[in-house]
Amino acid sequence: MMTTIASLLHTDHMATVETLQALEDLLRRNRSAPAAGSVRPVLERLATVLRAEVQKHFGFEENHLFPEFTRQGETGIVMMLTHEHRAILPLAMRVAELAEQALAAGFTDGDWKDFAASGGELVERELFHIQKEEMGLLSAISALIDADTDARLAEIYRREVV
Amino acid sequence: MMPGGFMMGAHSRLLPLPVPMRFFAAAMVFHPLAWAMLLAGADAVPGFRGGLGPVLAGLHLVTLGVLAMIAIGAAFQLLPVAIQRPLGPTWACGLAWWLYVPGVALLCAGLATGWVPALHGGAGLSVAGLLLAGLLIARCLIGATGFPGIRHHAWLALASLLGLAVLGLLLAVDFRTGWLPDHTAFAAAHAVLAGYGFMGNLAMGFTYVLVPMFVLGPAIPDAVGKRTGLLAALALALAVCGALAGLGWLAAAGGAVGLGAVGLHFAALRTALAARMRKRLESFFRLLFPAWVLLPVGLAVGIALALGAEPAITAPLWGFLMVFGWLLTFATGILQRVMPFLVSMHTSARGGKPALVSQLTADRPLLLHAVLHGVALLLVALGIIIQSVPMVRAGAAGGLAGALALLAFAVELGCRTRAHLQDNPPFSQGHT
Repeated sequence: MMTTIASLLHTDHMATVETLQALEDLLRRNRSAPAAGSVRPVLERLATVLRAEVQKHFGFEENHLFPEFTRQGETGIVMMLTHEHRAILPLAMRVAELAEQALAAGFTDGDWKDFAASGGELVERELFHIQKEEMGLLSAISALIDADTDARLAEIYRREVV
Repeated sequence: MMPGGFMMGAHSRLLPLPVPMRFFAAAMVFHPLAWAMLLAGADAVPGFRGGLGPVLAGLHLVTLGVLAMIAIGAAFQLLPVAIQRPLGPTWACGLAWWLYVPGVALLCAGLATGWVPALHGGAGLSVAGLLLAGLLIARCLIGATGFPGIRHHAWLALASLLGLAVLGLLLAVDFRTGWLPDHTAFAAAHAVLAGYGFMGNLAMGFTYVLVPMFVLGPAIPDAVGKRTGLLAALALALAVCGALAGLGWLAAAGGAVGLGAVGLHFAALRTALAARMRKRLESFFRLLFPAWVLLPVGLAVGIALALGAEPAITAPLWGFLMVFGWLLTFATGILQRVMPFLVSMHTSARGGKPALVSQLTADRPLLLHAVLHGVALLLVALGIIIQSVPMVRAGAAGGLAGALALLAFAVELGCRTRAHLQDNPPFSQGHT
Protein backbone atom coordinates (compact mmCIF):
# COMPACT_ATOMS: atom_id res chain seq x y z
CA MET A 1 0.00 0.00 0.00
CA MET A 2 1.53 3.30 -1.07
CA THR A 3 1.72 6.03 1.55
CA THR A 4 0.43 9.52 0.82
CA ILE A 5 3.89 11.01 0.73
CA ALA A 6 5.16 8.27 -1.62
CA SER A 7 2.22 8.91 -3.89
CA LEU A 8 2.96 12.66 -3.94
CA LEU A 9 6.65 12.04 -4.72
CA HIS A 10 5.69 9.57 -7.47
CA THR A 11 3.40 12.16 -9.09
CA ASP A 12 6.25 14.65 -8.95
CA HIS A 13 8.59 12.10 -10.58
CA MET A 14 6.11 11.59 -13.42
CA ALA A 15 5.99 15.34 -14.07
CA THR A 16 9.79 15.56 -13.99
CA VAL A 17 10.18 12.60 -16.37
CA GLU A 18 7.77 14.31 -18.75
CA THR A 19 9.82 17.52 -18.64
CA LEU A 20 13.06 15.59 -19.14
CA GLN A 21 11.62 13.73 -22.11
CA ALA A 22 10.57 17.04 -23.67
CA LEU A 23 14.14 18.27 -23.17
CA GLU A 24 15.55 15.04 -24.62
CA ASP A 25 13.29 15.36 -27.70
CA LEU A 26 14.38 18.96 -28.15
CA LEU A 27 18.05 17.94 -28.09
CA ARG A 28 17.53 15.00 -30.44
CA ARG A 29 15.62 17.07 -33.00
CA ASN A 30 18.12 19.92 -33.11
CA ARG A 31 21.78 19.31 -33.84
CA SER A 32 22.39 23.07 -34.07
CA ALA A 33 20.82 26.04 -32.32
CA PRO A 34 17.09 26.29 -33.12
CA ALA A 35 15.19 29.56 -33.24
CA ALA A 36 13.98 30.10 -29.68
CA GLY A 37 10.50 30.96 -30.93
CA SER A 38 10.07 27.53 -32.48
CA VAL A 39 10.80 25.76 -29.20
CA ARG A 40 9.28 28.32 -26.84
CA PRO A 41 6.86 25.96 -24.99
CA VAL A 42 9.67 23.58 -24.02
CA LEU A 43 11.98 26.41 -22.99
CA GLU A 44 9.24 28.00 -20.89
CA ARG A 45 8.63 24.71 -19.17
CA LEU A 46 12.33 24.27 -18.49
CA ALA A 47 12.76 27.81 -17.24
CA THR A 48 9.79 27.75 -14.90
CA VAL A 49 8.97 24.17 -13.97
CA LEU A 50 12.32 22.40 -13.94
CA ARG A 51 14.00 24.66 -11.43
CA ALA A 52 11.08 24.45 -9.03
CA GLU A 53 10.58 20.72 -9.54
CA VAL A 54 14.15 19.81 -8.81
CA GLN A 55 14.99 22.38 -6.17
CA LYS A 56 11.86 21.95 -4.08
CA HIS A 57 11.72 18.18 -4.50
CA PHE A 58 15.35 17.72 -3.45
CA GLY A 59 14.96 20.22 -0.64
CA PHE A 60 11.96 18.37 0.76
CA GLU A 61 13.75 15.03 0.62
CA GLU A 62 16.94 16.29 2.25
CA ASN A 63 15.26 18.40 4.93
CA HIS A 64 12.26 16.26 5.87
CA LEU A 65 12.31 12.75 4.40
CA PHE A 66 15.95 11.67 4.63
CA PRO A 67 16.23 12.51 8.34
CA GLU A 68 13.45 9.96 8.97
CA PHE A 69 15.50 7.33 7.16
CA THR A 70 18.70 8.30 8.94
CA ARG A 71 16.91 8.02 12.29
CA GLN A 72 16.10 4.40 11.41
CA GLY A 73 19.67 3.58 10.40
CA GLU A 74 19.12 3.63 6.62
CA THR A 75 22.09 5.87 5.94
CA GLY A 76 23.42 4.14 2.80
CA ILE A 77 20.63 5.08 0.44
CA VAL A 78 20.44 8.58 1.97
CA MET A 79 24.13 9.16 1.28
CA MET A 80 23.85 7.82 -2.27
CA LEU A 81 20.82 9.93 -3.17
CA THR A 82 22.22 13.06 -1.50
CA HIS A 83 25.43 12.76 -3.52
CA GLU A 84 23.35 12.48 -6.66
CA HIS A 85 21.42 15.61 -5.70
CA ARG A 86 24.74 17.44 -5.54
CA ALA A 87 25.55 16.37 -9.09
CA ILE A 88 22.07 17.05 -10.52
CA LEU A 89 21.05 20.36 -8.93
CA PRO A 90 23.74 22.58 -10.56
CA LEU A 91 22.90 21.02 -13.94
CA ALA A 92 19.19 21.72 -13.53
CA MET A 93 19.91 25.29 -12.51
CA ARG A 94 22.21 25.78 -15.51
CA VAL A 95 19.65 24.36 -17.97
CA ALA A 96 16.88 26.54 -16.50
CA GLU A 97 19.13 29.61 -16.67
CA LEU A 98 20.10 28.95 -20.31
CA ALA A 99 16.44 28.37 -21.20
CA GLU A 100 15.54 31.73 -19.62
CA GLN A 101 18.30 33.46 -21.57
CA ALA A 102 17.20 31.81 -24.81
CA LEU A 103 13.62 32.92 -24.24
CA ALA A 104 14.85 36.49 -23.91
CA ALA A 105 17.54 36.62 -26.61
CA GLY A 106 17.63 33.30 -28.49
CA PHE A 107 20.48 30.80 -28.63
CA THR A 108 23.96 31.63 -29.88
CA ASP A 109 25.94 28.63 -31.12
CA GLY A 110 27.97 28.66 -27.93
CA ASP A 111 24.85 28.85 -25.74
CA TRP A 112 23.30 25.95 -27.61
CA LYS A 113 26.39 23.79 -27.16
CA ASP A 114 26.38 24.57 -23.45
CA PHE A 115 22.62 23.92 -23.27
CA ALA A 116 22.90 20.63 -25.17
CA ALA A 117 25.79 19.37 -23.04
CA SER A 118 24.19 20.34 -19.72
CA GLY A 119 20.74 19.19 -20.84
CA GLY A 120 21.94 15.77 -22.06
CA GLU A 121 23.79 15.15 -18.81
CA LEU A 122 20.83 16.34 -16.76
CA VAL A 123 18.43 13.97 -18.55
CA GLU A 124 20.63 10.98 -17.91
CA ARG A 125 21.56 11.74 -14.31
CA GLU A 126 18.04 12.69 -13.26
CA LEU A 127 16.41 9.67 -14.94
CA PHE A 128 18.91 7.32 -13.26
CA HIS A 129 18.20 9.07 -9.97
CA ILE A 130 14.44 8.74 -10.38
CA GLN A 131 14.90 5.04 -11.22
CA LYS A 132 16.58 4.55 -7.86
CA GLU A 133 13.96 6.52 -5.95
CA GLU A 134 11.10 4.69 -7.65
CA MET A 135 12.79 1.32 -7.12
CA GLY A 136 13.58 1.73 -3.47
CA LEU A 137 12.81 4.92 -1.71
CA LEU A 138 9.07 5.13 -2.30
CA SER A 139 8.15 1.65 -1.17
CA ALA A 140 10.63 1.78 1.67
CA ILE A 141 8.70 4.72 3.02
CA SER A 142 5.76 2.44 3.81
CA ALA A 143 8.06 0.11 5.72
CA LEU A 144 9.82 2.83 7.69
CA ILE A 145 7.28 5.57 8.25
CA ASP A 146 4.14 5.35 10.40
CA ALA A 147 0.78 6.89 9.54
CA ASP A 148 1.27 10.02 11.66
CA THR A 149 4.66 10.77 10.13
CA ASP A 150 3.19 10.11 6.68
CA ALA A 151 0.43 12.65 7.30
CA ARG A 152 2.91 15.20 8.68
CA LEU A 153 5.30 14.78 5.71
CA ALA A 154 2.42 15.00 3.21
CA GLU A 155 1.26 18.24 4.83
CA ILE A 156 4.78 19.73 4.64
CA TYR A 157 5.09 18.56 1.03
CA ARG A 158 1.83 20.19 -0.01
CA ARG A 159 2.87 23.41 1.71
CA GLU A 160 6.46 23.60 0.44
CA VAL A 161 6.55 21.79 -2.90
CA VAL A 162 3.19 21.66 -4.66
CA MET B 1 4.87 2.28 -8.63
CA MET B 2 7.88 0.12 -9.19
CA PRO B 3 9.10 -3.09 -7.52
CA GLY B 4 9.20 -2.42 -3.81
CA GLY B 5 12.40 -1.93 -1.95
CA PHE B 6 14.77 -2.89 -4.74
CA MET B 7 17.31 -0.21 -3.97
CA MET B 8 16.89 -0.26 -0.21
CA GLY B 9 20.13 -1.54 1.22
CA ALA B 10 21.61 -1.52 -2.28
CA HIS B 11 24.47 0.57 -0.98
CA SER B 12 25.40 -1.96 1.70
CA ARG B 13 24.72 -5.04 -0.44
CA LEU B 14 26.77 -4.04 -3.47
CA LEU B 15 29.53 -6.59 -3.80
CA PRO B 16 33.00 -5.35 -4.68
CA LEU B 17 32.78 -4.51 -8.38
CA PRO B 18 35.35 -7.15 -9.45
CA VAL B 19 33.14 -9.98 -8.10
CA PRO B 20 30.33 -9.80 -10.67
CA MET B 21 32.56 -8.22 -13.33
CA ARG B 22 34.93 -11.20 -13.25
CA PHE B 23 32.05 -13.46 -14.30
CA PHE B 24 30.95 -11.01 -17.00
CA ALA B 25 34.52 -10.71 -18.30
CA ALA B 26 34.84 -14.49 -18.56
CA ALA B 27 31.54 -14.59 -20.47
CA MET B 28 32.84 -11.96 -22.89
CA VAL B 29 35.90 -14.14 -23.60
CA PHE B 30 34.01 -17.45 -23.94
CA HIS B 31 31.48 -15.80 -26.29
CA PRO B 32 33.77 -15.46 -29.37
CA LEU B 33 35.29 -18.86 -28.59
CA ALA B 34 31.82 -20.40 -28.81
CA TRP B 35 31.17 -18.95 -32.26
CA ALA B 36 34.69 -19.96 -33.33
CA MET B 37 33.90 -23.56 -32.34
CA LEU B 38 30.66 -23.43 -34.29
CA LEU B 39 32.61 -22.11 -37.27
CA ALA B 40 35.17 -24.90 -36.90
CA GLY B 41 32.42 -27.52 -36.76
CA ALA B 42 30.05 -25.90 -39.28
CA ASP B 43 29.92 -28.99 -41.50
CA ALA B 44 28.40 -30.98 -38.61
CA VAL B 45 25.75 -28.41 -37.66
CA PRO B 46 23.03 -29.34 -40.20
CA GLY B 47 21.49 -32.55 -38.89
CA PHE B 48 23.39 -32.36 -35.59
CA ARG B 49 21.98 -34.75 -32.97
CA GLY B 50 24.81 -34.72 -30.43
CA GLY B 51 28.22 -36.33 -30.11
CA LEU B 52 31.67 -35.07 -29.20
CA GLY B 53 33.34 -32.45 -31.37
CA PRO B 54 33.53 -28.69 -31.90
CA VAL B 55 29.74 -28.24 -32.18
CA LEU B 56 29.07 -29.73 -28.75
CA ALA B 57 32.02 -27.73 -27.37
CA GLY B 58 30.61 -24.53 -28.92
CA LEU B 59 27.18 -25.26 -27.49
CA HIS B 60 28.62 -25.66 -23.98
CA LEU B 61 30.84 -22.61 -24.37
CA VAL B 62 27.60 -20.67 -24.82
CA THR B 63 25.48 -22.40 -22.19
CA LEU B 64 28.12 -22.73 -19.47
CA GLY B 65 30.69 -20.17 -20.58
CA VAL B 66 28.37 -17.31 -21.47
CA LEU B 67 24.80 -17.87 -20.26
CA ALA B 68 25.40 -19.49 -16.87
CA MET B 69 28.42 -17.24 -16.33
CA ILE B 70 26.29 -14.12 -16.82
CA ALA B 71 23.49 -15.65 -14.73
CA ILE B 72 25.83 -16.32 -11.79
CA GLY B 73 27.41 -12.85 -11.93
CA ALA B 74 24.00 -11.20 -12.19
CA ALA B 75 22.46 -13.38 -9.46
CA PHE B 76 25.36 -12.70 -7.07
CA GLN B 77 24.93 -8.96 -7.46
CA LEU B 78 21.25 -8.38 -8.19
CA LEU B 79 19.51 -11.01 -6.07
CA PRO B 80 20.76 -9.79 -2.66
CA VAL B 81 19.78 -6.23 -3.62
CA ALA B 82 16.42 -7.29 -5.05
CA ILE B 83 15.27 -9.50 -2.19
CA GLN B 84 17.22 -7.68 0.52
CA ARG B 85 19.09 -10.69 1.86
CA PRO B 86 22.84 -11.23 2.24
CA LEU B 87 24.51 -13.50 -0.30
CA GLY B 88 27.46 -14.94 1.56
CA PRO B 89 31.16 -14.32 1.94
CA THR B 90 32.97 -12.66 -0.94
CA TRP B 91 35.69 -15.33 -0.85
CA ALA B 92 33.06 -17.98 -1.67
CA CYS B 93 31.99 -16.00 -4.75
CA GLY B 94 35.65 -15.86 -5.77
CA LEU B 95 36.07 -19.59 -5.17
CA ALA B 96 33.03 -20.32 -7.36
CA TRP B 97 34.72 -18.36 -10.18
CA TRP B 98 38.03 -20.18 -9.72
CA LEU B 99 36.31 -23.57 -9.84
CA TYR B 100 33.90 -22.74 -12.60
CA VAL B 101 35.92 -20.83 -15.20
CA PRO B 102 38.83 -23.31 -15.53
CA GLY B 103 36.22 -26.09 -15.32
CA VAL B 104 34.29 -24.76 -18.31
CA ALA B 105 37.50 -24.25 -20.32
CA LEU B 106 38.66 -27.79 -19.55
CA LEU B 107 35.27 -29.36 -20.18
CA CYS B 108 34.87 -27.64 -23.54
CA ALA B 109 38.41 -28.67 -24.54
CA GLY B 110 37.40 -32.23 -23.65
CA LEU B 111 34.13 -31.98 -25.57
CA ALA B 112 35.96 -30.62 -28.63
CA THR B 113 38.78 -33.16 -28.65
CA GLY B 114 37.23 -36.16 -26.93
CA TRP B 115 40.11 -36.24 -24.43
CA VAL B 116 38.48 -38.05 -21.52
CA PRO B 117 40.57 -36.68 -18.59
CA ALA B 118 39.73 -33.11 -19.66
CA LEU B 119 36.10 -34.07 -20.13
CA HIS B 120 35.77 -35.61 -16.68
CA GLY B 121 37.98 -33.10 -14.87
CA GLY B 122 36.23 -30.19 -16.52
CA ALA B 123 32.79 -31.61 -15.79
CA GLY B 124 33.72 -32.13 -12.13
CA LEU B 125 35.13 -28.61 -11.70
CA SER B 126 32.22 -27.00 -13.56
CA VAL B 127 29.64 -28.83 -11.49
CA ALA B 128 31.51 -27.95 -8.28
CA GLY B 129 31.54 -24.27 -9.28
CA LEU B 130 27.88 -24.35 -10.27
CA LEU B 131 26.83 -26.08 -7.06
CA LEU B 132 28.78 -23.61 -4.92
CA ALA B 133 27.13 -20.75 -6.79
CA GLY B 134 23.77 -22.49 -6.35
CA LEU B 135 24.36 -22.87 -2.61
CA LEU B 136 25.18 -19.19 -2.25
CA ILE B 137 22.05 -18.23 -4.16
CA ALA B 138 19.94 -20.68 -2.11
CA ARG B 139 21.37 -19.22 1.10
CA CYS B 140 20.27 -15.80 -0.10
CA LEU B 141 16.77 -17.04 -0.98
CA ILE B 142 16.13 -18.91 2.28
CA GLY B 143 14.13 -16.73 4.64
CA ALA B 144 13.41 -14.06 2.03
CA THR B 145 9.83 -12.81 2.07
CA GLY B 146 9.61 -10.13 -0.64
CA PHE B 147 9.37 -10.57 -4.41
CA PRO B 148 7.61 -13.96 -4.41
CA GLY B 149 7.49 -14.03 -8.21
CA ILE B 150 11.25 -13.74 -8.53
CA ARG B 151 11.86 -16.19 -5.69
CA HIS B 152 9.66 -18.86 -7.27
CA HIS B 153 11.56 -18.62 -10.54
CA ALA B 154 14.90 -18.56 -8.72
CA TRP B 155 14.05 -21.72 -6.74
CA LEU B 156 12.94 -23.42 -9.94
CA ALA B 157 16.23 -22.42 -11.55
CA LEU B 158 18.16 -23.92 -8.64
CA ALA B 159 16.19 -27.16 -8.74
CA SER B 160 16.86 -27.35 -12.48
CA LEU B 161 20.54 -26.66 -11.86
CA LEU B 162 20.72 -29.67 -9.59
CA GLY B 163 18.98 -31.84 -12.16
CA LEU B 164 21.05 -30.64 -15.11
CA ALA B 165 24.29 -31.09 -13.15
CA VAL B 166 23.44 -34.71 -12.28
CA LEU B 167 22.39 -35.48 -15.86
CA GLY B 168 25.44 -33.65 -17.21
CA LEU B 169 27.80 -35.74 -15.10
CA LEU B 170 26.02 -38.94 -16.17
CA LEU B 171 26.32 -37.90 -19.83
CA ALA B 172 30.03 -37.04 -19.45
CA VAL B 173 30.72 -40.49 -17.95
CA ASP B 174 28.55 -42.15 -20.59
CA PHE B 175 30.78 -40.88 -23.42
CA ARG B 176 33.36 -43.44 -22.21
CA THR B 177 31.24 -46.18 -20.67
CA GLY B 178 28.06 -46.10 -22.76
CA TRP B 179 26.00 -47.39 -19.83
CA LEU B 180 23.05 -45.00 -20.18
CA PRO B 181 20.03 -46.72 -21.81
CA ASP B 182 19.42 -43.81 -24.21
CA HIS B 183 22.10 -41.11 -24.38
CA THR B 184 20.00 -38.89 -26.70
CA ALA B 185 16.97 -38.96 -24.36
CA PHE B 186 19.14 -38.01 -21.36
CA ALA B 187 20.79 -35.26 -23.43
CA ALA B 188 17.36 -33.89 -24.36
CA ALA B 189 16.25 -33.83 -20.70
CA HIS B 190 19.58 -32.19 -19.78
CA ALA B 191 19.01 -29.54 -22.49
CA VAL B 192 15.46 -28.80 -21.30
CA LEU B 193 16.61 -28.38 -17.69
CA ALA B 194 19.59 -26.22 -18.71
CA GLY B 195 17.85 -24.01 -21.27
CA TYR B 196 14.34 -23.60 -19.93
CA GLY B 197 14.79 -24.74 -16.33
CA PHE B 198 17.93 -22.99 -15.18
CA MET B 199 18.53 -20.15 -17.62
CA GLY B 200 14.89 -19.62 -18.62
CA ASN B 201 13.66 -19.22 -15.06
CA LEU B 202 16.48 -16.86 -14.15
CA ALA B 203 15.74 -14.85 -17.30
CA MET B 204 12.04 -14.61 -16.42
CA GLY B 205 12.71 -13.70 -12.77
CA PHE B 206 15.27 -11.01 -13.56
CA THR B 207 13.08 -9.62 -16.34
CA TYR B 208 10.40 -8.91 -13.72
CA VAL B 209 12.83 -6.62 -11.89
CA LEU B 210 15.04 -5.17 -14.59
CA VAL B 211 12.61 -4.27 -17.36
CA PRO B 212 10.24 -2.18 -15.17
CA MET B 213 13.29 -0.53 -13.60
CA PHE B 214 14.92 0.48 -16.86
CA VAL B 215 11.71 1.80 -18.45
CA LEU B 216 10.35 3.33 -15.24
CA GLY B 217 7.28 1.16 -15.53
CA PRO B 218 4.88 -0.31 -12.97
CA ALA B 219 5.93 -3.42 -11.08
CA ILE B 220 4.94 -6.81 -12.44
CA PRO B 221 2.34 -8.06 -9.92
CA ASP B 222 3.57 -10.82 -7.62
CA ALA B 223 0.58 -12.94 -8.64
CA VAL B 224 1.86 -13.03 -12.23
CA GLY B 225 5.28 -14.23 -11.10
CA LYS B 226 3.67 -16.95 -8.99
CA ARG B 227 1.48 -18.09 -11.89
CA THR B 228 4.32 -18.15 -14.44
CA GLY B 229 6.48 -19.98 -11.89
CA LEU B 230 3.80 -22.61 -11.36
CA LEU B 231 3.24 -23.12 -15.09
CA ALA B 232 7.00 -23.24 -15.75
CA ALA B 233 7.39 -25.94 -13.07
CA LEU B 234 4.61 -28.02 -14.61
CA ALA B 235 6.02 -27.54 -18.11
CA LEU B 236 9.49 -28.63 -17.01
CA ALA B 237 8.21 -31.70 -15.18
CA LEU B 238 6.21 -32.84 -18.22
CA ALA B 239 8.99 -32.11 -20.73
CA VAL B 240 11.76 -33.77 -18.70
CA CYS B 241 9.67 -36.85 -17.91
CA GLY B 242 8.58 -37.05 -21.56
CA ALA B 243 12.18 -36.79 -22.80
CA LEU B 244 13.54 -39.37 -20.35
CA ALA B 245 10.70 -41.84 -20.96
CA GLY B 246 10.81 -41.37 -24.74
CA LEU B 247 7.18 -40.17 -24.70
CA GLY B 248 7.11 -37.45 -27.33
CA TRP B 249 3.50 -36.45 -26.67
CA LEU B 250 4.30 -35.86 -22.99
CA ALA B 251 7.31 -33.70 -23.85
CA ALA B 252 5.16 -31.82 -26.39
CA ALA B 253 2.52 -31.25 -23.69
CA GLY B 254 5.29 -29.78 -21.54
CA GLY B 255 6.19 -27.45 -24.40
CA ALA B 256 2.56 -26.39 -24.76
CA VAL B 257 2.31 -25.58 -21.04
CA GLY B 258 5.61 -23.70 -21.42
CA LEU B 259 4.04 -21.63 -24.18
CA GLY B 260 1.24 -20.79 -21.75
CA ALA B 261 3.79 -19.56 -19.18
CA VAL B 262 5.50 -17.49 -21.88
CA GLY B 263 2.14 -16.00 -22.90
CA LEU B 264 1.42 -14.86 -19.33
CA HIS B 265 4.97 -13.54 -19.02
CA PHE B 266 4.63 -11.49 -22.20
CA ALA B 267 1.19 -10.16 -21.26
CA ALA B 268 2.63 -8.84 -17.98
CA LEU B 269 5.61 -7.30 -19.77
CA ARG B 270 3.35 -5.69 -22.32
CA THR B 271 1.29 -4.07 -19.56
CA ALA B 272 4.43 -2.78 -17.82
CA LEU B 273 5.87 -1.44 -21.07
CA ALA B 274 2.59 0.22 -22.08
CA ALA B 275 2.38 2.08 -18.75
CA ARG B 276 6.04 3.10 -18.61
CA MET B 277 7.07 6.65 -17.75
CA ARG B 278 10.20 6.51 -19.93
CA LYS B 279 8.85 6.58 -23.46
CA ARG B 280 12.10 6.17 -25.41
CA LEU B 281 13.34 2.61 -25.10
CA GLU B 282 17.09 2.20 -24.69
CA SER B 283 19.22 0.50 -27.33
CA PHE B 284 19.50 -2.85 -25.54
CA PHE B 285 15.84 -3.48 -26.38
CA ARG B 286 16.94 -4.09 -29.97
CA LEU B 287 18.24 -7.42 -28.63
CA LEU B 288 15.48 -8.08 -26.10
CA PHE B 289 12.62 -7.87 -28.58
CA PRO B 290 14.06 -10.44 -31.05
CA ALA B 291 14.97 -12.67 -28.11
CA TRP B 292 11.35 -12.55 -26.92
CA VAL B 293 10.17 -13.46 -30.41
CA LEU B 294 12.59 -16.38 -30.65
CA LEU B 295 11.53 -17.86 -27.29
CA PRO B 296 8.09 -19.08 -28.43
CA VAL B 297 9.42 -19.87 -31.93
CA GLY B 298 12.03 -22.17 -30.36
CA LEU B 299 9.39 -23.75 -28.13
CA ALA B 300 7.17 -24.41 -31.15
CA VAL B 301 10.08 -26.08 -32.96
CA GLY B 302 10.76 -28.12 -29.79
CA ILE B 303 7.14 -29.30 -29.76
CA ALA B 304 7.44 -30.30 -33.43
CA LEU B 305 10.61 -32.23 -32.59
CA ALA B 306 8.92 -33.99 -29.67
CA LEU B 307 6.10 -35.03 -32.01
CA GLY B 308 8.64 -36.51 -34.39
CA ALA B 309 8.62 -33.95 -37.21
CA GLU B 310 11.84 -34.00 -39.31
CA PRO B 311 14.30 -34.54 -36.43
CA ALA B 312 17.31 -33.94 -38.72
CA ILE B 313 16.11 -30.35 -39.02
CA THR B 314 14.06 -29.72 -35.88
CA ALA B 315 16.62 -31.13 -33.41
CA PRO B 316 19.51 -28.77 -34.29
CA LEU B 317 17.11 -25.92 -35.03
CA TRP B 318 15.45 -26.24 -31.61
CA GLY B 319 18.81 -26.23 -29.83
CA PHE B 320 20.08 -23.31 -31.89
CA LEU B 321 16.95 -21.20 -31.46
CA MET B 322 16.79 -21.86 -27.71
CA VAL B 323 20.48 -21.32 -26.93
CA PHE B 324 21.80 -18.88 -29.54
CA GLY B 325 18.50 -17.34 -30.63
CA TRP B 326 16.62 -16.70 -27.42
CA LEU B 327 19.03 -17.02 -24.48
CA LEU B 328 22.24 -15.63 -25.98
CA THR B 329 20.42 -12.68 -27.56
CA PHE B 330 18.59 -11.96 -24.30
CA ALA B 331 21.66 -12.39 -22.06
CA THR B 332 23.96 -10.21 -24.17
CA GLY B 333 21.22 -7.57 -24.36
CA ILE B 334 20.81 -7.49 -20.60
CA LEU B 335 24.55 -7.65 -20.00
CA GLN B 336 25.36 -4.62 -22.15
CA ARG B 337 22.95 -2.59 -19.96
CA VAL B 338 23.75 -4.13 -16.60
CA MET B 339 27.55 -3.76 -16.82
CA PRO B 340 27.59 0.05 -17.13
CA PHE B 341 24.62 0.24 -14.72
CA LEU B 342 26.62 -1.58 -12.04
CA VAL B 343 29.66 0.60 -12.63
CA SER B 344 27.48 3.68 -12.27
CA MET B 345 25.91 2.29 -9.07
CA HIS B 346 29.36 1.66 -7.62
CA THR B 347 30.64 5.13 -8.48
CA SER B 348 27.50 6.56 -6.89
CA ALA B 349 27.76 4.39 -3.77
CA ARG B 350 31.42 5.27 -3.15
CA GLY B 351 30.41 8.91 -2.82
CA GLY B 352 31.93 10.32 -5.99
CA LYS B 353 30.22 11.89 -8.97
CA PRO B 354 28.27 8.97 -10.49
CA ALA B 355 29.60 7.85 -13.87
CA LEU B 356 27.14 8.37 -16.70
CA VAL B 357 26.06 5.17 -18.44
CA SER B 358 26.33 6.97 -21.81
CA GLN B 359 29.93 7.95 -21.07
CA LEU B 360 30.83 4.39 -20.11
CA THR B 361 29.13 2.82 -23.13
CA ALA B 362 30.78 2.55 -26.53
CA ASP B 363 27.78 2.56 -28.88
CA ARG B 364 29.43 1.52 -32.14
CA PRO B 365 30.63 -1.92 -31.02
CA LEU B 366 27.15 -2.56 -29.60
CA LEU B 367 25.46 -1.62 -32.86
CA LEU B 368 27.93 -3.77 -34.77
CA HIS B 369 27.29 -6.69 -32.43
CA ALA B 370 23.52 -6.36 -32.78
CA VAL B 371 23.67 -6.34 -36.59
CA LEU B 372 26.19 -9.17 -36.89
CA HIS B 373 24.40 -11.26 -34.26
CA GLY B 374 21.11 -10.86 -36.11
CA VAL B 375 22.69 -11.83 -39.42
CA ALA B 376 24.41 -14.80 -37.78
CA LEU B 377 21.16 -16.09 -36.30
CA LEU B 378 19.37 -15.79 -39.61
CA LEU B 379 22.10 -17.51 -41.65
CA VAL B 380 22.74 -20.38 -39.25
CA ALA B 381 19.00 -21.05 -38.81
CA LEU B 382 18.50 -21.03 -42.59
CA GLY B 383 21.59 -23.20 -43.02
CA ILE B 384 20.12 -25.77 -40.64
CA ILE B 385 16.76 -25.72 -42.42
CA ILE B 386 18.11 -26.06 -45.98
CA GLN B 387 21.09 -28.17 -44.83
CA SER B 388 23.64 -25.69 -46.20
CA VAL B 389 27.10 -25.85 -44.63
CA PRO B 390 28.39 -22.65 -46.36
CA MET B 391 25.43 -20.74 -44.94
CA VAL B 392 26.10 -22.07 -41.43
CA ARG B 393 29.78 -21.21 -41.86
CA ALA B 394 28.98 -17.65 -42.98
CA GLY B 395 26.58 -17.25 -40.07
CA ALA B 396 29.09 -18.53 -37.53
CA ALA B 397 31.73 -16.16 -38.95
CA GLY B 398 29.27 -13.28 -38.52
CA GLY B 399 28.54 -14.41 -34.96
CA LEU B 400 32.27 -14.52 -34.21
CA ALA B 401 32.76 -10.99 -35.54
CA GLY B 402 29.78 -9.79 -33.49
CA ALA B 403 31.13 -11.45 -30.35
CA LEU B 404 34.48 -9.72 -30.87
CA ALA B 405 32.64 -6.40 -31.17
CA LEU B 406 30.92 -7.09 -27.84
CA LEU B 407 34.31 -7.93 -26.32
CA ALA B 408 35.62 -4.59 -27.59
CA PHE B 409 32.69 -2.88 -25.84
CA ALA B 410 33.59 -4.64 -22.57
CA VAL B 411 37.29 -3.71 -22.83
CA GLU B 412 36.36 -0.09 -23.56
CA LEU B 413 33.99 -0.10 -20.57
CA GLY B 414 36.86 -1.23 -18.34
CA CYS B 415 39.13 1.57 -19.66
CA ARG B 416 36.44 4.22 -19.26
CA THR B 417 35.62 3.03 -15.73
CA ARG B 418 39.27 3.29 -14.71
CA ALA B 419 39.52 6.78 -16.24
CA HIS B 420 36.34 7.92 -14.42
CA LEU B 421 37.55 6.64 -11.06
CA GLN B 422 40.87 8.44 -11.51
CA ASP B 423 39.22 11.70 -12.55
CA ASN B 424 36.43 11.67 -9.96
CA PRO B 425 37.54 10.94 -6.40
CA PRO B 426 34.84 10.51 -3.72
CA PHE B 427 33.32 13.84 -2.60
CA SER B 428 34.95 13.61 0.81
CA GLN B 429 38.39 13.52 -0.86
CA GLY B 430 37.82 15.78 -3.78
CA HIS B 431 35.48 18.45 -2.33
CA THR B 432 35.46 20.60 0.72
